[in-house]
Amino acid sequence: MGAEPTVQELRNLVAEFEPGRGHLLPALHRVQETYGYISREAIEVVAGQLDTTPALVYGCVTFYADFRTHRPPQTEIAWCSGPACRLAGGERIREALEHTLELPLGGHSEDDRYGLHLGQCVGTCHESPQVWVNGEVRGRLTAADAIRLAREVKAAE
Amino acid sequence: MNARLQSIIDDARKAWTAERAGGRAKITVTLDTSSIARGAEQTIAAIKEVAAKKSLDIDIGITGSWGLCWAEPTLTVRTAAGTRTVLYANVTADRVEELLEKTVVEGGDLPSLAVGVVEGNATAAIPLLSEHPFMQGQVRRLMANLGTTDPENIDHYLAHGGYEGLGRAFEMGAEAIVKEVLDSGLGGRAGGGFPAGRKWDFLRTATAEPRYLVCNADEGDPGAWVNRVLMEGDPQLIVEGMLIAALAANARWGYIYLRYEYPLAVRRMQLAVDQARQKGLLGENILGTGKDFDLIVFKGAGAYVCGEETGLINSIDGYRGMPRIKPPFPAQAGLWNKPTNVNNVESYANAPLIMRQGSAWWSSVSDAKEKGTKMFTFSGAVKQACCVELPFGPKVRDVLMQYAGGPASDRPMKGFQPGGPLSGVVSADRLDLTLTLDPYRELGLFLGGGGIVFFDESACTVDLCRYFLSFAEDESCGRCTTCRGGTQRAVEVLRRIQSGGGHDGDFERLEGLVRWLVYSNCFHGQFAMTTVKTALKQFRSEWIEHIEEKRCRARVCPGLVAYQVRAQGDPKLAEAKEICPTGAIIEANGKYEIEDAPCIRCGACREVAPSAIELRDLVMAPVAAR
Ligand SMILES: Cc1cc2nc3c(=O)[nH]c(=O)nc-3n(C[C@H](O)[C@H](O)[C@H](O)COP(=O)(O)O)c2cc1C
Ligand code: SF4
Ligand code: SF4
Ligand code: FES
Repeated sequence: MGAEPTVQELRNLVAEFEPGRGHLLPALHRVQETYGYISREAIEVVAGQLDTTPALVYGCVTFYADFRTHRPPQTEIAWCSGPACRLAGGERIREALEHTLELPLGGHSEDDRYGLHLGQCVGTCHESPQVWVNGEVRGRLTAADAIRLAREVKAAE
Repeated sequence: MNARLQSIIDDARKAWTAERAGGRAKITVTLDTSSIARGAEQTIAAIKEVAAKKSLDIDIGITGSWGLCWAEPTLTVRTAAGTRTVLYANVTADRVEELLEKTVVEGGDLPSLAVGVVEGNATAAIPLLSEHPFMQGQVRRLMANLGTTDPENIDHYLAHGGYEGLGRAFEMGAEAIVKEVLDSGLGGRAGGGFPAGRKWDFLRTATAEPRYLVCNADEGDPGAWVNRVLMEGDPQLIVEGMLIAALAANARWGYIYLRYEYPLAVRRMQLAVDQARQKGLLGENILGTGKDFDLIVFKGAGAYVCGEETGLINSIDGYRGMPRIKPPFPAQAGLWNKPTNVNNVESYANAPLIMRQGSAWWSSVSDAKEKGTKMFTFSGAVKQACCVELPFGPKVRDVLMQYAGGPASDRPMKGFQPGGPLSGVVSADRLDLTLTLDPYRELGLFLGGGGIVFFDESACTVDLCRYFLSFAEDESCGRCTTCRGGTQRAVEVLRRIQSGGGHDGDFERLEGLVRWLVYSNCFHGQFAMTTVKTALKQFRSEWIEHIEEKRCRARVCPGLVAYQVRAQGDPKLAEAKEICPTGAIIEANGKYEIEDAPCIRCGACREVAPSAIELRDLVMAPVAAR
């Protein structure tokens, strides 16, 4: 994940994908894995490569929760929305995170230093309630732990 | 048996035997998403470090889950002679040195961390694993290799009966395979229970070409991770199962549609497919038989309705994953409008077992109408969140006590959810229901893909319903007004009730939605109100309290409870003020008070000052008796 790609770089990146063969999601994953998100230019390039319209590609990008149209923050706290986590106080943790970070779920700070993401249960319910910090599980949290974590993330440079 | 296959299997067996006879002790660590969350990678690093420091000549391997998710990291230690293997749990990195010292160096056991003896004799301190309560009653067939083989090594699978079922399938031919699977009684494992053999026969007798197989590995039900355990633990079982189905249905291509939230499963399935292809088990002219079949691991992108089979098909086709209108059914017009069969991971994974040992053996595991074994995960208000494989039929109460370790605390159980956000809720007075399909159907619910979530009296069923309806609203594809607008409306009403605004007519409003949503196109909308429907029946008094008395007995609903300082002078109150994220706690002259308006009910203050701050009903229940 680095500087903004040029159109040519994007074209090269998705050159192997073909229309009519189920390549839309793989192409979008490729873009996001390389650049961290799917830009407007990338949507146009993918549409051109797959012989479809930017509108259709954009429709897909927004349909799926995994695809981002904004670069990912440096530190992302993903909150588990699953049932075991909720039963163990997950809703209180969400409230605590949202208020401490001053962000809604799905939001990010203006300088992209940190963000809050809605995560899905992956069956590590034994660690409930939990969040992931850049993919790493922080389990058995109290609301107070979540507030401390969010304050740390907010204060870090 | 196909001669090429036989020689591949023989080579793998020789390699496995040679490795065991190598005269080195072996540590095999469970490496999956659950164990990684509990530090398995650090455990492996510590094993390497200690082994280097003490110059221990040992092998280190990885394996899938024993099901003891709550007690990860787990690992086995096999003696250098290869005659004794012991399973240990909770082996965090800091415990590695002691474990290796006691076992590898001194040649003994470490009873304090031991679960059971896998191979060899029991001791006074460590029972046989097969006699451990967690294993009693389990029939680990699909999970047979988990704990033993390396999921990233096809040779390990081949050395343990792998691809023998495929060998038999090649000899049988399409019609006989379908008959064997029909005879077995294998029903779809996603929850519907539709006979897999019939679905394969629809595809076999379809006329258009090419035909496609799809493995539904989207496992979107929060609280279910059975498919993950299998894909991370024994991915070749799924490859072999799809190959057998491809022979039965004469399919040319197969897709494994795997949710992106499972990156380790994606990696291991991809590796399994690549290794099978290298062995000539996938691709063109498989094993010289003339059969062509290949698999594509297709990563989802985060959409629950893509678990619905036609939403899934649209998603692969390159559209928004919106469920289609049926008919036509996938067997007539699926991927690129060609005949397509969609089955769950676990459904395919049973095929190798049926082929290898025969349908009579496979279905004789219990007397239940539903044949074979089923994997379940238990979570929520239990002591031991775990994954097990059981014949259909045990009582929910028994599995709760035996495998999940019973209730998490001394609070009584309140109920459980039998399988996913659409499946409904069951009250605890029905814990004697069995794990079979019919009893739930009769109650208007269903047993889903295997994820059972228990809740105790600290849970509020209005809040649970709001959670499941919010999920259904978020994940609605938006095609049907009933589903899109109906779930939205339900969430509005539930939120209002939760914030103290419940009023006359709310029951009728919700019951109306229960009736209307069934007119939606797919099961997502049709079943979205199941939790509300079943909760209203079984937990009605709790709902009446919310609506009429503005009281939440579990003290969960934010608008019906308040935090309040109960005892001044506690030094912890300063800490509570410090932790409060909204500045709701104010102090004047050493006295603390919580302002209700800014308080978001996060409860952090009570966590740090439990004896000074209490959670109480916001509006005291009216004294008048109901
Ligand atoms: C909203 C929705 C989500 C679903 N999610 C899954 C899923 O994650 N995994 C799955 O196997 N089936 C899921 N299903 C069921 C599938 O549509 C389909 O019935 C199933 O894959 C058939 O497999 P089986 O016959 O082997 O059980 C879902 C259905 C609906 C309506
Ligand atoms: S019922 Fe809901 S999820 Fe299913 S097609 Fe209709 S709107 Fe989409
Ligand atoms: S519940 Fe949370 S917001 Fe309310 S006073 Fe306590 S810490 Fe502050
Ligand atoms: S509910 Fe949070 S990990 Fe399962």
